[in-house]
Amino acid sequence: MTDDIFDPHDLHPDDFLEEVHSFEFWFQSVDGYLSDRPHGRLAASNDVPIEGAGREALITTLCNYCVGETAALEGAGGMISIAPNRHSKIFLATQVVDEARHLEVFLYRLRELGVVDTEAEIARRANPNLLRFKDRLLELVRTADWAGALFAQNVVLETMEAIAFDAHAQVADPITAQILDGVIKDERRHLGFGENDLGRLLQDDPDTRVRLGAIRQELDALVLAAFDGALADTGSVREDQPTLGRDYLATIDRLGLV
Amino acid sequence: MADFLSAYTIQRWLELCPQGYLADTVDGHGPDEIEPDILLTDDDMRTDAIRTTVQLVAGERAALAASSGLINSAPDLGSKTFLATQTLDEARHVEIFTQRLYDLGVKPADLESTIDHFVNPHLVKFAGVLLDKVNSGDFIAGVVGQNIVLEGMAFSVFEMLEAGSRELNPKFAHTLRGTIADERRHVGFGENTIGALIRQHPEKKPEIEDMQREMAYHMLMTFSSSFAEGDSALEKNRQTIGEQGPADYHGTNLSTASSEDMQAVLANTVVGEFETRLARIGLEYQPPVGV
Repeated sequence: MTDDIFDPHDLHPDDFLEEVHSFEFWFQSVDGYLSDRPHGRLAASNDVPIEGAGREALITTLCNYCVGETAALEGAGGMISIAPNRHSKIFLATQVVDEARHLEVFLYRLRELGVVDTEAEIARRANPNLLRFKDRLLELVRTADWAGALFAQNVVLETMEAIAFDAHAQVADPITAQILDGVIKDERRHLGFGENDLGRLLQDDPDTRVRLGAIRQELDALVLAAFDGALADTGSVREDQPTLGRDYLATIDRLGLV
Repeated sequence: MADFLSAYTIQRWLELCPQGYLADTVDGHGPDEIEPDILLTDDDMRTDAIRTTVQLVAGERAALAASSGLINSAPDLGSKTFLATQTLDEARHVEIFTQRLYDLGVKPADLESTIDHFVNPHLVKFAGVLLDKVNSGDFIAGVVGQNIVLEGMAFSVFEMLEAGSRELNPKFAHTLRGTIADERRHVGFGENTIGALIRQHPEKKPEIEDMQREMAYHMLMTFSSSFAEGDSALEKNRQTIGEQGPADYHGTNLSTASSEDMQAVLANTVVGEFETRLARIGLEYQPPVGV
C-alpha cells in the first residue's frame, strides 16, 4: 500500500499557484504552529522577570519590530489593489493577517512588560531609518510599482526581519523566543512568495532588474543603518551587528534577483 | 475605542473563524457536500446559478479591495488589525465563490470572461462609488460604504440565498452560513468604530449621505435587473423548493412568491437594515431618487 501524500509541486504550474496562494493552504500552514499558541506562545509557558536595562532594551527592540510589522501590514494591504492577478491578491490577504498577527503579539508582549500606551511608546522609540524605509515602501505601493513594492516588502523587509528575529530568538527570554519562532515561520512563506513571483517576472525583463537594483541600493543603506541603530539598544545582540548586516546582504545576494 | 477593539483581535478571529466555524470545512462547506445534479444538468438553472455567483464574486472583490485599501488610512493599530482580518475574510469569500463557479462548470481560463459577461453593471458602479472613497483615503466614508452599506447588503442577500438553498442545495447554504457569520462581525465593527468618528467630524455627514444614496440607487437597480434576468429559472427553482418544503425569508415563502415579491422583500429588508444601522452611527438613511 502506498501513502497518498499530497504534494502541490506535482500540480500544473497554474494549479500550483492556485493551491499555494489560497486561504485553505494558508490555514493548513499556520494551523500547526498557531492552534495551541494564544498570542504566539504555548499557553503553559512561564515568563521570567525582565528588569532594568534588559527590560528597556527589549521594549525598544519590540517597538521597532512593531514599526516594521506596521510597515509590512500597510504595505501588504496596499499591494492587494495593485497585484496583477487573483492568486497574488489572495496570498497578500493571508500575508496581511500574518503581519497584523505579528503586530498584535508584539504589542501584547509590550503590555506584559508594563507599557501602557503602546502607540506613544512606539512613536517615541522608533528608529528613523525604519520610518524612512516604511515611507519608501508605501511610496512604491502608492505609485502602483508592483515589482518595486514586492521587492521592498517581500524580499528586503522580510529578509531584514527574518535575520533580526532569528538572531534575537537565539538569545531572547523563553516567551519572546517562542513568539519570534512563529513569526519567522510566516516570514519564510512571505519571502518565498516574493522570490518566486519576482523570479518569474524578471526572467524576461532586464529593465526591471536594473530598476530594482537601484531600489536595492537605496534600501540596503536604510536596512544597515536600522541594524546599527535599533539593535544597538539590545546589549545581547550588539556584538552580532556586523554579522547581521553581512547575513542580510548575503541573503539578498543569494536570491540572485538583482 | 481600545476596549471595544479587544473583541476584534487576530487572536479572537483565529479562535472564532478558522479554528471555529470553519474548522473541518473545505472551501466553506463540508468535504462531502456537492452541488445538486439539477444545477449541473439544467441549462437555465445552471446559468442562473452562475449569474448569481458572479454577483457574489464581484461584490466580494470590491469588499477585498475596500477593506485592504482602508488599512493604511485607519487611525489606530487596533482598527488596522481588525481590517486585516476582514481583508482575509473577504479574500476567502472571493476564493469560495470563485470555487463555486468552477464547481458549476466554469473553466478557470474562462473565469474573467464569465464574470465580465454576467456581472451586473449597476453592481460595478456600486463598487466604484465605494472604491473612490477608499482610494482617496477617506476612512470614515470608506468604512460606512464598506461595513454598513456593502456589508449590510451582502448580509441580507446571503441570508435570502441561504434560506432558499437550505433544502435545495445544502452545500451552498453551508458556504453562505460561514460568510454570514463573517459579515455580522464586519457590520459590528463598522457601527462601533464609525459612530464615534462621525460625532467628531459632523461636517462629513452630507458627503457620506450622498455616497450612501448613490450606492443604494445602484444596489436597488442591481436587485431589479437581477430578479428580472433570473425569471426564467425562477419557476424551476420554485418548483424544486416547493417539492422539498417551504423556504421562509422574513415572512415570505420563497417557494411560492413571485419574483416581484422576492425583490420587494429583499429591498425592504436591506433598506430596513440600513435605516437601523445608519441611525446607530448618527446618520439618516437617504432614499435614492428614480428607483
